[in-house]
Amino acid sequence: MNEVIHAAGLKKRFGSSDVLNGIDLTIYEGEVFGFIGHNGAGKSTFINILTGIINKSGGSFTIMGAPDQNLDKVKSKIGVMPDISNLYDQMRGVQFLHYMGKLAGDKRSKQDYIALMKDVGLEGAERKKIKSYSFGMRKKICIAQALLGNPELIILDEPTSGLDPESAINIRKLITNLQQQGKTILLTSHNLDEIDKVSDRVGIISDGIIKKLGTPSELKHNNTTNEINAAIRTSPGLTSEKLAELSATWDFEVQFVSSKKPYSVVKVKDDNDLAKLSKELIHSGIQLFEIRIEQQSLEDVFINSK
Amino acid sequence: MVHVLMREFTDSFKSVRSILIILFLTFIAYLSASFLEDNPGLLDAFMSAQEDGASIYTGAVSIIILILGFLFVFAISHDVINKEIETRTIRLLVNKIPRWQIVIGKALGILFFWMITILISYIILTMISGELYLAHYFKTILFLLYVISFVLFISSIIPKSKLTMFLGILLGISLPVLGLISVSSEKWYFLPFKYLLPYYYMEDESIKLLIPLIFSIIFLIISVVIMKRRDL
Repeated sequence: MNEVIHAAGLKKRFGSSDVLNGIDLTIYEGEVFGFIGHNGAGKSTFINILTGIINKSGGSFTIMGAPDQNLDKVKSKIGVMPDISNLYDQMRGVQFLHYMGKLAGDKRSKQDYIALMKDVGLEGAERKKIKSYSFGMRKKICIAQALLGNPELIILDEPTSGLDPESAINIRKLITNLQQQGKTILLTSHNLDEIDKVSDRVGIISDGIIKKLGTPSELKHNNTTNEINAAIRTSPGLTSEKLAELSATWDFEVQFVSSKKPYSVVKVKDDNDLAKLSKELIHSGIQLFEIRIEQQSLEDVFINSK
Repeated sequence: MVHVLMREFTDSFKSVRSILIILFLTFIAYLSASFLEDNPGLLDAFMSAQEDGASIYTGAVSIIILILGFLFVFAISHDVINKEIETRTIRLLVNKIPRWQIVIGKALGILFFWMITILISYIILTMISGELYLAHYFKTILFLLYVISFVLFISSIIPKSKLTMFLGILLGISLPVLGLISVSSEKWYFLPFKYLLPYYYMEDESIKLLIPLIFSIIFLIISVVIMKRRDL
């Protein structure tokens, strides 16, 4: 597979603060790469360096084979979704896309721009000034802007945040369609479920470095501690106090995690302790109806990676 | 770059300030030319004082540009770069085209606006006097190129548009005063203004006229370098 983005030891320092501490990452042609990180983790800084908005402090990167010093050569092949606040508010929607399209070398006609606005859910807003657009509409025009010039690499920064569920679904469909057309997509989102659904690979960034990298499935199953979260249904229901009282005499550790009625979620060290737990509960006279291993979500992986 | 140029050019015509400046220059050109046509004795007096006829007709427009040129260009374009940085719309441009194209595209857009504005005045002068004043026209444009490059340079190094607006008023008034005094003064403290501002070179018809052009290119190169190094 061809490398579309390759970053090696990429660093960024703002004043005395190190925002990126050496990002090593390769994104391949045709994949959807999801980028997760809490606010201030360095996601946007990384994207801003890749798109030439800010300069790196160290390391290097290539985009579609072009080294960072020659980024101008490949700009026409990159579609970037800007922040919703960075728009020409005085322009009308279609006028804005027309101008951005010309800059991107887009050859489509004015009618095609109107069709593009329809595709992203902005039908009827073509002649309205951008300053009158709602949050969601601004988001949509930013997405439309990123698609101008038929780019090979599309960078979408939180494309669905703040959108209504129907629009969010449509944008996810759009991302899938773009991938089917062979586009490479770098996507950031705080919606981990969305990242899980649409991404081929995921990178978790924290403190300016990539802490975890892999397919969503790999990340969810790469449980380094073998700990198991188990949802158990008993009668009487198991509370934190009751579990503490019972486990005082047990020779293994069990931790109460949460209550999701009618289940209680507990954490044990491994499979053996889970077997011991069921035995001890029955031995204590508690009726055990059901025991279910809780799948680790991407959210768990993200929380554990901090 | 062409699209940035075109947008800057068309946007320059949209503000009230630009329209007022165009109307003012056109009115002055018409008024001065009509006055000379109505007073042929005055024209003869100037001619006998070894002034050429062309400079008499174009004089009013030239004087206004020399005195108010800095103020006019600052009024319209003081925020040509820093406004885009403040509103972060420059990020949209940087994502699509090289930074040098943004700077040069904007400079040319403003230059074309002034070329058209001055051309309107000169067309009126030509219509009344029946003569073409191409040399005078290009000399005025050369002066304005210096001013535009300087304003763009200021807008690139100062990130706050409110500050460049204030500075624009200050420089727009003080630079012409200093520049015009320095032309006839030999005092040492006026020398930097004499050689760094374009007024001294405008007196001449010789190769010295290229010096403001060189200054303009230097201002533009520095603006491009500053923009390349800046985090947006």
